[in-house]
Amino acid sequence: MFSKILVANRGEIAVRIMRTAREMGIGTVAVYSEVDRCALHTLTADEAFLLGDSDPSSSYLNMDKIIDVAKRSGAQAIHPGYGFLAENAAFARRVTAEGLVFIGPPAAVMANLGNKTVARTIMAQSNVPIIPGMTVSDTDPARLLQAAEEMGFPVLIKAAAGGGGKGMRIVHDRAAFAEAAELAKSESMSAFGDSSIYVEKCLDRPRHVEFQILADEHGNVVHLFERECSIQRRHQKIIEETPCPALDEELRGRMGAAAVAAARAAGYVNAGTVEFLVDGAGRFYFLEVNTRLQVEHPITEMVTGLDLVRHQIEIAAGKPLPFDQDRLTRRGHAIECRIYAEDPEADFMPSPGPILFVKSPEGPGVRFDHALYTGAQVPMQYDPILGKLVVWAEDRHAAIERMVRALKECVILGVKTPIELMIDVLRSEPFRTGDVHTRLIDDHFSSWQPDRALDHLAAMAFVANEILGPVPGTVSTRDSIGRGMRSPWQTLGAWDMTR
Amino acid sequence: MRFRVKIDNQLFPIEACAADEHGYCRMAVNGMGTDAAVKAIAAGHLHLEANGEATNAFVARSGSGLWVWVDGRARLVFDADTEQRRRGTVRREGPREVTPPTPATVVRVPAIVGDHVEKGQALVVVSAMKMELTLTAPYSGTVSAVHTEVGAKVSPGEILVEIEADPEGETHG
Repeated sequence: MFSKILVANRGEIAVRIMRTAREMGIGTVAVYSEVDRCALHTLTADEAFLLGDSDPSSSYLNMDKIIDVAKRSGAQAIHPGYGFLAENAAFARRVTAEGLVFIGPPAAVMANLGNKTVARTIMAQSNVPIIPGMTVSDTDPARLLQAAEEMGFPVLIKAAAGGGGKGMRIVHDRAAFAEAAELAKSESMSAFGDSSIYVEKCLDRPRHVEFQILADEHGNVVHLFERECSIQRRHQKIIEETPCPALDEELRGRMGAAAVAAARAAGYVNAGTVEFLVDGAGRFYFLEVNTRLQVEHPITEMVTGLDLVRHQIEIAAGKPLPFDQDRLTRRGHAIECRIYAEDPEADFMPSPGPILFVKSPEGPGVRFDHALYTGAQVPMQYDPILGKLVVWAEDRHAAIERMVRALKECVILGVKTPIELMIDVLRSEPFRTGDVHTRLIDDHFSSWQPDRALDHLAAMAFVANEILGPVPGTVSTRDSIGRGMRSPWQTLGAWDMTR
Repeated sequence: MRFRVKIDNQLFPIEACAADEHGYCRMAVNGMGTDAAVKAIAAGHLHLEANGEATNAFVARSGSGLWVWVDGRARLVFDADTEQRRRGTVRREGPREVTPPTPATVVRVPAIVGDHVEKGQALVVVSAMKMELTLTAPYSGTVSAVHTEVGAKVSPGEILVEIEADPEGETHG
């Protein structure tokens, strides 16, 4: 087993990985950029090394600097987290070439699965159902249009090298096709340095259901059941749950077997996720494989009782999986809400800034993976995720109630968050009945407004704060002087407590 | 003591007493029939009892306002009187200045000094947290100054582009 690992990431996921490493008796090395000198992940690690200025290319995307830190610190393995270099095959190859271990799948597998048309071909050859459409990318508008007409509109234009909704366009008719294809090509070029695109059938309001897989170097592959990830905004997930309310045991079994077949077909090793779309008739189609730890991995941990990061590290160290499929069970229901610094009233525009006050939700069945503290800065350079709030309860109804309760306890002041919107989504009729699909937020919450019923209480809290001032004995702020009763700490002046 | 408190565009006139011997401050919202007693518990933590129901509120000061959290709902709350004095005038419909809504990095500057621009035309494209935002002309006119360049780090309040408005009567939204 490794004695020290480097976490090539920042924020809540870096902190989450370090926690497991610490539990395993493994030393932790953090890397950070100028703006993250006092970020929680920098403060959590045993050792922390500055990479460079805040621009990702000088810091969290800079392979040379990260590998240099790994060597200088004596780390034997690198965990990439999610985002940044997590799905960069060139980085995985480089790490291995330098004599270090990459905690993730082999570079060649990552490269194959990172190309959507190659991945579709691999799956089709192994009888994993794929969404009707092309398996070879193209740049010729006439051939692309012909393919679109053969499968019938609406269609999706996708970047072959794509992900995260970038380079993706829904086209409803022939007239709009040429322009959409051009936009998708240029967006794909600027995001991935590759303008190859392809066309596939656009399913109407599908569910997004994914299966967690674990595979070791010894040929053992298991799935850890599904996650329902249909609640999205801007093609990015914000609420996930497991089990998926739409799967029965028969369908779950078939999809799980397809996920394992997909992993075997690709030669997969380590933790990964096979994503499927499920249509209204219960037919499922392979979407893509995410070759990393997912943001939403904790809900799988809650229902299976397994620590996915621990298994990632053990697999990377060459150990065989300690269980087979028959031994794996799940219990209860888990939900995750992703808490971003963003404004749900302004099309989810990022809202960076200082965290002025934070109080974590607590109590039975609640887990909050975050990188927050009062006074922390949310920098504008990176993904605005603040944390992921996860609950577990005996059944779906209890889990929803528990999540609403936990969201109300999750106090974050200073930046805008979607917490209030999430409370309303969880309480909405479509979510309660489990009738969720990828357009639920667009269909029901596009003109969402905050409920004003409690604003008078907020107004009274403001007045009380004006009259009462800060609580005596607590840290005072400049604003408080001249208001309310002054405490001795404010009036006495400088003291030297050591004399 | 009388207060006029503002949350977004809603005004709450509140009559409040000084704290009693237990530290409770009693108050009522005029016209709403809501009475409350509020006590400060710890830094940023208040306890409210309003019309027989109790809840906790959390507060943090931010510039001219106060962030208040009640039951999962965060509000930026202002004193209406000082807010009015500070701003001088009430803000007219929509923003009148070309400034980013959030700290950001400039990625493109389509605005060129001397160009005539129509209301809504793109002037500056900024990037914040992996998202691109386009700042547009708040009114039609002629670009008189550009105070930024590609790669610049910009903040809310910073005027990036100045526009000399078209004379009245020629402006068509």
